[in-house]
Amino acid sequence: MRRSVECNGLEYYLWLFTRLSAIMMLFAGAAGIVYANLLGRTVMDAPAQYRWAFFPIYWHVQNTGVPDVFPLWSNAFWRVCCTILLFIASLHGFNGLRVVVEDYVHRSTLLVLLKGLIVLLFMFVFGAGTVIIFEWF
Amino acid sequence: MRGYRVGLWEALRYRGGIGVLVWILHRITGLGILLFVSIHVVAAFFMNALNDSISTAVTHWYESHPVQVFVYFCVLYHALNGLRVLLEDFYPPLLRYHRELIWLQWAIFVPVFGLPAFFIAQGIVLGTP
Repeated sequence: MRRSVECNGLEYYLWLFTRLSAIMMLFAGAAGIVYANLLGRTVMDAPAQYRWAFFPIYWHVQNTGVPDVFPLWSNAFWRVCCTILLFIASLHGFNGLRVVVEDYVHRSTLLVLLKGLIVLLFMFVFGAGTVIIFEWF
Repeated sequence: MRGYRVGLWEALRYRGGIGVLVWILHRITGLGILLFVSIHVVAAFFMNALNDSISTAVTHWYESHPVQVFVYFCVLYHALNGLRVLLEDFYPPLLRYHRELIWLQWAIFVPVFGLPAFFIAQGIVLGTP
């Protein structure tokens, strides 16, 4: 967590990004849960709460007892917001995976291979998520 | 920075105290969230694109109650511990109360995790959805 970081370079910006994206995701998740529980007409179960926390796109939160989900949470603007949130969240996650891998792998060729694999996984998850968000099927 | 090699067992035996334990748990829960979210997104993608039996089975698995409890544990712990790290990093005077903040974090975590987890577990035992 509190690793010694130099105050310049990519490593520092990724360190800062991890914290700033964490603040954003905490606020986004809290806002989603508060919104859903204020407007929900039934008591929501755990999966419904998770879906509103991360994240409210209409096909994800359709069956949670919150009325009028379709017009509000399905427009292009909100889909773009969700894509940005997905990008930030997956970058946060896969960057964390990179930090863990760098702590345990010391052979440089293997490390380069694993980092390449992490980048590919990140691109695949983000791409698949974007396709689902915009329903490009 | 490089050149140390510490496995999980050595880290648990290392007497770094509660700080090391919450750090290990932060990593494990982070990897748990990454695993769940990746599986969820990829399975949803293939379910919409192909509607095959494998992604349907994976979807049923990650929507099951034990996985719900596991994901809730990971997300809540990672969020609370991450919030504490954030506050300590951006406002270092709080580091004087490092241990107290960790105890505060657990004082919030235990009831907020325990109550829903209890009801989900009750649902599993009693067989209600």
